[in-house]
Amino acid sequence: MTLAAEGAYRAADRVDALIDRGTKRRIHLIVTPEGIELPVALAEHSERLVAFLCDMLFWLGTTLLIYIAAIWLVVELGGPLVAFTLITLIAFLVRNLYFIYFEMMWGGATPGKKIAKLRVIDRRGGPLMPAAVIARNLTRELEVFLPISVFANLTSHGASANWQSFFLLIWLLLLSGLPLFNKARMRGGDIIAGTLLVSVPKRVLLDDIAEQASSAYRFTSRQLQAYGSFELQVLEELLRRTPSEETSQLHETVAGKIAAKIGWSDPVPPSQTHDFLKAFYAAERAHLEREQAFGRIYQDKHARGGQDAG
Amino acid sequence: MTEVVGPQKARPLQLKSSEFRRLREPAWRELEGIIARMESRGLGALRPEEFERLPLLYRSTLSSLAVARSIALDCNLLLYLENLAMRAFLNVYAPRSSLIEDLGRFLTTGFPVAVRQARWHLMLILAVFLAGGAIGYLLTIGDETWYGAFVPESLSQGRGPRSTRSELMEGELFAPWPGVANSFIVFANALFQHNAIIGILSFGLGAVAGVPTLLLVGYQGMVIGAMLALHANRGLAIDFLGWVSIHGVTEIGAILLSGAAGLVVAEKILLPGPHNRLDNLSIHGRHAALIAAGAVMMFLIAGLIEGGLRQLIQPTVLRFTFAGVTFVLWLAYFLFAGRQTMRGRT
Repeated sequence: MTLAAEGAYRAADRVDALIDRGTKRRIHLIVTPEGIELPVALAEHSERLVAFLCDMLFWLGTTLLIYIAAIWLVVELGGPLVAFTLITLIAFLVRNLYFIYFEMMWGGATPGKKIAKLRVIDRRGGPLMPAAVIARNLTRELEVFLPISVFANLTSHGASANWQSFFLLIWLLLLSGLPLFNKARMRGGDIIAGTLLVSVPKRVLLDDIAEQASSAYRFTSRQLQAYGSFELQVLEELLRRTPSEETSQLHETVAGKIAAKIGWSDPVPPSQTHDFLKAFYAAERAHLEREQAFGRIYQDKHARGGQDAG
Repeated sequence: MTEVVGPQKARPLQLKSSEFRRLREPAWRELEGIIARMESRGLGALRPEEFERLPLLYRSTLSSLAVARSIALDCNLLLYLENLAMRAFLNVYAPRSSLIEDLGRFLTTGFPVAVRQARWHLMLILAVFLAGGAIGYLLTIGDETWYGAFVPESLSQGRGPRSTRSELMEGELFAPWPGVANSFIVFANALFQHNAIIGILSFGLGAVAGVPTLLLVGYQGMVIGAMLALHANRGLAIDFLGWVSIHGVTEIGAILLSGAAGLVVAEKILLPGPHNRLDNLSIHGRHAALIAAGAVMMFLIAGLIEGGLRQLIQPTVLRFTFAGVTFVLWLAYFLFAGRQTMRGRT
């Protein structure tokens, strides 16, 4: 990958990582047929809405185009009633087949979902079967289109609206709002079909910071015992930030804290801060990875409490 | 700085995880390239040898991930591998059959097998439908004002307690054929859409424990029962049955099937069985969806028969013959289609 492209990705990737670790994204674990656990990020409600609105736009547009073509074709052939009927049939088919067709052909994505970077997956980690796609989309009629028509019915009657439709509407809205009420954010169709809507953004492999570390700094194992893997990964995130005034100030503060914590006696000049942090990162990672290889896992700096620090 | 960590003394720091990454990275990059092309341009974008390597690269990346989780603390590396494995997983396990192939398999095995598995639900639905029919018939035969309560105006098209025998015969049962365009296109389509939505709803309403499904199907029975009573009072019961049965065999079959699909879902919500409720629901929900989708196709056929053929075939005897033939065909289809394949599989 070229440096320029990497630079462009770096910022986006950092935002991704921040969102992910800001625990706003809910994670669901699936197990692949090979037995490996993979965490997937559940789709946000907003993403879901964007995807759905895009799809609405697409299928309404398609239907409109078909309308125009059908009117143009049929005006010659039959009466206006026939034209009208053909159009409603096509609209019905497009409405019901749009989602099924794309989710089956594009592996769980529709054009709208592609825009929002979402995909439908099997909840238990198997392949997405056609039956599941059909199941999750047949219920759409109940969850989306029926409440809309009941609502339209209710408003068109105005003040004389009957209570029956009102309660029906509330009940249907509760059903449509199902994704808001369950942990995996499934709508009714997802529950019946055993599917999940997940977000699959692209991630970029960045350079290994440990490879860039200079060997000018040496740390003792006692010094390296000060931290655990959490602090290591925070440091990694700091080192991966795009260079700026703000970043280098942050680096200086952090370097100062680390030096105080591990008892580093030599002063680190500001021009050397970045190198010092990199070297410390590499040494700390080497240390923690070696410990981990022997089954001693230190989650963070407090994890060593019960153990013999020597 | 008294004790210096041993191996670092002589040469620059060597990390196991960095070494691991250097060794495996080319394979990840190759997989990433293949996946990126699949995501943007589909399977067709791959050369045959890439297609061969895809499962291999996918599995080696999964094993890389497993190793990295135990030896590496590089957060970016772990996130990257998880993401790559996920994307590869989605592409490797994407269903790869064509739409026509799927449709064929659905018609020859999927649909009839799913229907056979739901036979008890179908029986229950049939009982509810018949009960609804009996209620509609018995109430209306004594007091025709009930007719308006059961049959909505949109369905009765002006027919009701005030209709005479000759009106029903000429305007409905033996009305002239309205011509190709009107019968096959206009009427058939309106019927199909109306019925298909009812069918999809009775499936979907299974998700709320099935009670609305039962009510909906029972109500459909009442409508038919009330109509039958209206005609029976005018000595037209047999002719009415012929008129209804010509498409009714297919249409009522589809109503019952979509109701049964709803009940399958409802049963798994109420009685989850040995699995966890959600898993169980998803397994059976898919079967139910197959039934509902098949029922929609049946509604299309029923719509064509009702809109197009019903008024074309006039004598009641011929109508009954036609209905009998469709009944036998559907029965044979649901009883026997796909049995061979299922046996072969187990």
